[in-house]
Amino acid sequence: MASTGSSFSAAIPDADSARTDIVVGLTSHNDAETIVAVTTAVRASLAGRFAGVASRIVLADAGSTDDTAARARAALEGTGGLIEVATPRAAAELLDMPYHGVQGRARALRAILTTARDLGARACVAIDAGAPTMAPQLVESLTGSILHDDFDFVLPFYRRHPYEGALTKGVVYPVFRSLYGVRIRQPAGGEFACSSRLLPRLLDEDFWDQEGVRVGIDLWLTAAAVSDDFKIAEAALGVRAHRVREGDALDLGTTMSQVVGALFADLESRADTWQRVRGSKPVQRFGELAPASAAQGSVVDPERLMESYRLGYRELRDIWTWVLPPKTIVELGRLINAPAARFQIDDELWARIIYDFALGFRMRVLARDHLLRSLVPLYLGWFASYILQVRDLPPDAVDERVGRLGAAFEAEKPYLIARWRWPERLRT
Amino acid sequence: MPPKSSASDPLWYKRAIIYELPVKSFFDANGDGVGDFAGLIEKLDYVQALGVTCLWVLPFFPSPLRDDGYDIADYRNVHPSYGTLDDFRRFLHAAHARHLQVVIELVVNHTSDQHPWFERARSAPPGSPERDYYVWSDTDQKYGDARIIFLDAERSNWMWDSKAQAYYWHRFFHHQPDLNYDSPAVLQDLLQVMDFWLEMGVDGFRLDAVPYLAEREGTSCENLPETHAVIKAIRRHIDGRWPNRMLLAEANQWPADVRAYFGDGDECHMAYHFPLMPRIFMALHLEDRHPIVEVMQQTPAIPEVSQWALFLRNHDELTLEMVTDEERDYMYLAYSADPQARLNLGIRRRLAPLMGNSRRRIELLNSLLFSFPGTPIVYYGDEIGMGDNTYLGDRNGVRTPMQWTGDRNAGFSRADPERLFSPIIMDPIYGYQGVNVEAQERDPSSLLQWMKNLIGLRKMFEAFGLGSLEFLEPANRKVLAYVRRHRRDAILCVANLSRSVQPVSLDLSAFSDFTPVEMLGYTDFPTIGKQPYFLTVGPYGFYWFELQRRDP
Repeated sequence: MASTGSSFSAAIPDADSARTDIVVGLTSHNDAETIVAVTTAVRASLAGRFAGVASRIVLADAGSTDDTAARARAALEGTGGLIEVATPRAAAELLDMPYHGVQGRARALRAILTTARDLGARACVAIDAGAPTMAPQLVESLTGSILHDDFDFVLPFYRRHPYEGALTKGVVYPVFRSLYGVRIRQPAGGEFACSSRLLPRLLDEDFWDQEGVRVGIDLWLTAAAVSDDFKIAEAALGVRAHRVREGDALDLGTTMSQVVGALFADLESRADTWQRVRGSKPVQRFGELAPASAAQGSVVDPERLMESYRLGYRELRDIWTWVLPPKTIVELGRLINAPAARFQIDDELWARIIYDFALGFRMRVLARDHLLRSLVPLYLGWFASYILQVRDLPPDAVDERVGRLGAAFEAEKPYLIARWRWPERLRT
Repeated sequence: MPPKSSASDPLWYKRAIIYELPVKSFFDANGDGVGDFAGLIEKLDYVQALGVTCLWVLPFFPSPLRDDGYDIADYRNVHPSYGTLDDFRRFLHAAHARHLQVVIELVVNHTSDQHPWFERARSAPPGSPERDYYVWSDTDQKYGDARIIFLDAERSNWMWDSKAQAYYWHRFFHHQPDLNYDSPAVLQDLLQVMDFWLEMGVDGFRLDAVPYLAEREGTSCENLPETHAVIKAIRRHIDGRWPNRMLLAEANQWPADVRAYFGDGDECHMAYHFPLMPRIFMALHLEDRHPIVEVMQQTPAIPEVSQWALFLRNHDELTLEMVTDEERDYMYLAYSADPQARLNLGIRRRLAPLMGNSRRRIELLNSLLFSFPGTPIVYYGDEIGMGDNTYLGDRNGVRTPMQWTGDRNAGFSRADPERLFSPIIMDPIYGYQGVNVEAQERDPSSLLQWMKNLIGLRKMFEAFGLGSLEFLEPANRKVLAYVRRHRRDAILCVANLSRSVQPVSLDLSAFSDFTPVEMLGYTDFPTIGKQPYFLTVGPYGFYWFELQRRDP
């Protein structure tokens, strides 16, 4: 039956629903190309390692116009069937800008989590059916620590090239670590698994109908999980393969606005939680990390990034003075004429820049989208500085370098809290 | 399915910060010189940006306006000067869309003498149900032990009505006959009035003049058991049909008497703490914490779900009913050397003039308001330090138009100045040219920006709204120090009530090994040890500390 928003109904077969240990939820939107491979892999995984475990596969399709659902049904014929929960897009969504991820992803995830809760599942895994290949051990890796070690929330940890996922490394990870005291490297991983204990808590969150949920949902789910006394783990899952969907290719400004906007929106809604957290703890990681050589990266020219930074400084300096204090602006000015050898944005400075943008976002000193887009050249400057520092380092040292950045964000956290609590208005 | 109010949290009123405003004074959208609901809607973004979470809207019902709307002539409509019922609905919707709750005023004790119920009663034969809507007597000698409240305006609580050929009972102005709650029909009608507004979505009622609902011979006719029975009936009715709605009692009484208005959590959710307010002013002027500590120690515990409503100033005079005669003399001398500022048993002034326009004192008093156990109420205009006009008669001097800009009519209205319902404040100190929202929004160090910060900070710590209170007793009585605790949070508040820097030694042995973190700057102070904790506090200064236990 069709549904919108928070309510939906699923055709849950009664006979087999007496006991369910694992619910594997697939989110899809026009994924006819990949759905069979993913469904087959999930089925193989459940039939193999989880042979004695009662499991269900739930497809939450966000109004595909191709035959995604039909192919999934066919792939699972004779296996006890598929629970389908339809989550068509809301009318308003059709007019929105494109964004990363599956259309209607939040509603799809909500439907999957609700089904898992209603079935009394001990663990629920959410998988993007658009992945071109699925790691054979994915379901097992994500749910093993929940079923056997009492963990509540498991995120994937993918091996990535040092230059890939830089926005996560440079902004999302360090902010998340500093705020919630949990060193999750990829807080918005796309896949995740959660325990029966966490399920009702996630469903109880008030972000499901909030503005920006389509982009922020993965990060917000993780934030909800770490905000309370739940046990968090990472599962090493090799290298993630991406399939670029139609409309996915976004400019950096839009990505910045959406990803960092979701992060900052989370700060706003959980201020009373993160302001009580001091320090950070590592999270337990299960599984074997893929070799560094498996992660491919594109070639990035730091000189071009620096040039973008310099152009941004000339064009956007005035905008930045709304959020960045004079000392920061002066330090940024020094970089304009710096040669590559001395082009370096210190971790502390970068942390304060991100925090000042978070404060500007909260105070609405400028239109939020404009403010976040103006962060792009600063980010490119940071990225150049980062590449110049890590390009000759071995993979473990890069990892350690990113960890140091996270520690710097932690050290600067009082700067954020003090200004959050008693805002300074640089310009009015 | 009845429409929901905006509140999903049953204890929302304990976490709230209330902003009190008269619609007529806030913003005039149609240019007729009187504020209206359309104008209020236009200014909701301002209210939201201020950070308050709930609006308390003063009476807006059709009324002859002989007591500024507290003389209601029709409980189910909007005074045409302020707009229409549809305007009110739009306002309610717009407020809820901004996550602002709305509490409206309900005068339950009396109506206007122009209310149809009274018109009907005075013509109805004695003993008839219609007549019994009000309290009648053949003599003006009944209930002689009841005091007269509006001493400056009334000589008796009885008024002769020639049409009815009888006296009617009124505790306030003579044109405000008291409803007779001995008649069951009155309560039934009032409950229907409440349903009317609750169905629309209002989040609560302020029950005006609630101690006076019943009259009995040989009593003061205040706080009678029969009055409490009526309130319990109201609460039962509301709880049965309208979840998460709130009742706020206006009972200007001693704390022990006000306590009864909470019942066992089965009467009003909230009640004003009237005696605290004058004692805060008194303590400040005496530079001695004693009056505050004393009144708080006399304040009985209240049920878990109940909450005090705290305020510094409101639309009435600074009432001095709940002080001793000597204390009242002191307050008159200290705060109203000008007799023009006195009215009834009180002082008709706004916060800033009472503080001699001292920014530090205004901030200090607000710091107390926002850190004491209860829900703070900010009176419109006090967030920008507006002044008053004691020459306007009654309490109109503290109800002047909101000062939005330095433009004509303070940006309140496009009407010709002489058409405004009240003159704008235009003296050289508090005049609208200097004291206005627009200027203070541009000034990073303005009182308005400071208030926004303070409100934001208060909202971050539930201990302020929900926590317990323990006073410390340092030898230096110029310093007021107390701890608020809620769950794992402990907050230490220290305030210097004097005009000079003060040293203070605090016994914080209960918090040995805790680190005080100053809240505004998130600055660590030295860890608390076994010895008394020494601080110095600047003139009228205050500190709020989070007491944090650090993991080793």
